[in-house]
Amino acid sequence: MATVTVRDVVKKYGELQVVHGINLAIGEGSFVVLLGPSGCGKSTLLRMIAGLEPISGGQVLIGDRVVNDVHPKDRNIAMVFQNYALYAHMTVRQNMSFSLELRNAPKAEIDKKVAWAASVLNLEPYLERYPKQLSGGQRQRVAMGRAIVRNPEVFLFDEPLSNLDAKLRVQMRTEIKELHQRLKTTTVYVTHDQIEAMTMADVIVIMRNGHIEQVGSPLEVYDRPENLFVAEFIGSPSMNLIPGKIDLEAGAPRFVSSGGTPIALAARPGLTHGQPVVLGIRPEHTHIDATGELSSTVAVVEPTGPETHVYFAIDGKDLCAVTRERTTIAPGAPLRLRLDTDQIHIFDQATGRVVR
Amino acid sequence: MQASRGMQAFRDVVSILIVIVFMFPLFWWGLSSIKPYTAIFNKDGPVYFDFQPTGQNYAVTLLGQSRIAENLESGGTFGAGGGSSYDSRQTILQSILIAVGSTALTIVLSTLASYALSRLPMRGKQHFIFWILSQRFMPPIAVVIPIMFMFRDMQLLDTITGLILAHTLINIPIAVLLLKSFFDDVPKDVDEAAMIDGATRFQTFRRIVLPMVKGGIAATAVLCFIFSWTEFLLSLYLTTSIRTLPVKISTFVTSTGTEWGFITALGTSAIVPSFIFILLVQKHLVRGLTLGSLKD
Repeated sequence: MATVTVRDVVKKYGELQVVHGINLAIGEGSFVVLLGPSGCGKSTLLRMIAGLEPISGGQVLIGDRVVNDVHPKDRNIAMVFQNYALYAHMTVRQNMSFSLELRNAPKAEIDKKVAWAASVLNLEPYLERYPKQLSGGQRQRVAMGRAIVRNPEVFLFDEPLSNLDAKLRVQMRTEIKELHQRLKTTTVYVTHDQIEAMTMADVIVIMRNGHIEQVGSPLEVYDRPENLFVAEFIGSPSMNLIPGKIDLEAGAPRFVSSGGTPIALAARPGLTHGQPVVLGIRPEHTHIDATGELSSTVAVVEPTGPETHVYFAIDGKDLCAVTRERTTIAPGAPLRLRLDTDQIHIFDQATGRVVR
Repeated sequence: MQASRGMQAFRDVVSILIVIVFMFPLFWWGLSSIKPYTAIFNKDGPVYFDFQPTGQNYAVTLLGQSRIAENLESGGTFGAGGGSSYDSRQTILQSILIAVGSTALTIVLSTLASYALSRLPMRGKQHFIFWILSQRFMPPIAVVIPIMFMFRDMQLLDTITGLILAHTLINIPIAVLLLKSFFDDVPKDVDEAAMIDGATRFQTFRRIVLPMVKGGIAATAVLCFIFSWTEFLLSLYLTTSIRTLPVKISTFVTSTGTEWGFITALGTSAIVPSFIFILLVQKHLVRGLTLGSLKD
């Protein structure tokens, strides 16, 4: 186990800079998820930690050691790839023992470790099979087995579940999390799936365009997004966002949408009168309530089972309310809504940063 | 779509006809090799099965019997002319040595080269690859004289080593190009996984990627072997006492007549080693060796 430290790391492809001076400290034994849309630099960052991409600037440390110029084979890391990257001509056993053989581990130890990994991952019946004889989930487990037999200092996962079907993905998600709780190995996990990130991570690192947007625990980034990007990216259905202005002259502070709808706000010191802002409120804090101050018309109703998503528009912006109650509300019906005032986020329009 | 019975029968007949057309030369070749001299040249038109089969042509070319002895045995039906230069045993041995040698050398050099071209960064790689291929654009006849002088200065004329080198030279461009495409089919993630597992670049090549392109290597080897086995021009110019099969066969066209019996006998025998070689590598000629390495 080791810490991973990323200091001012920059990645350039020729003139094109894709990672802009990233700083990140990953604690020993923690499970860190790099989350972001495709092209945000998360995989590049992971590959730089792995040593598969040269680092254009800054430093990567594993433990106390600067590994910028250390070959991947000498970094004592293990990586699980999106497409598994198994050795097709080797059996499951050979796939898993390859790294130990390269280290000239004694035969007895190899057998012991492979047997242990196989039992952890329920691969015992498949040890003599070839990858082509396995299902997607089994192949993924072999890829993980190959990683854990070595007892590496750091695990790296590069979107390992994106090739699996939805049901298997949920199952493997739990398995990976269990595995981490059992082995307590420092883990860096890349994904573009926010559910994966939310469910598995100790710490989520949200990236965009080669920058880190926010670092925090899953609930921190959900409850206290630092900026508009994070607010919109995390959560499904995503946060309702209404552009407008701040009005401090009507007594109590309030928000007035660009279409003129007023919404009462809790006092917060960062506000200035007339400031152009975006109001954000999560769908589950937007309640259908006959006494509510906002009115609209139901556009679409989506029952998902445990909850129902009700879509409507205010001043031309499509918004969503989530209710856990069974509702008979139908499209076209008039709707009154109440917002949880203490759950409203205000973001500055110019900078996108949250105002508290 | 299900073809009607009549249509199916028609297709079968047509395909059988096509096969007959293309197989006929081979059949005629084999048939002529067991004909006596008088049946090869018959003033009343071609002879199909109306002859007494004989092994004389094989006896002379493969066992080294003299034609005079054969004539004595068969009562003079074995054509005119004498000499012992029809014995081809040494030629076959030399041809096998040269074909196997140049195939092995080509495969070793071009797997290394094409792995590097497939994986390692290189400035102007595309131009380099095109340059390699362009070596094949040139007709060998254009360079055979210069190569002859170079080989003379390097003491390589009329040596097996020399011919192995010459054939390797011609085979390398196509082998590199073919093998590169096979290496390109193996995803780079596999290399990366191996390196993270602790393998050096060479171990990755030797233990992971090479076994995955076995099928491609086998196919390339077959092509190289067949090229070397049938190559005529370079072999003719670069040797005098060493003879490869095509060159040897060409000497059967003599000033006193063309020895069709010996030509067909040696030609038919010449198919056998290629055939054995292909059988040997055939079990590796399966597609989808990387199957299972990836998602799907």
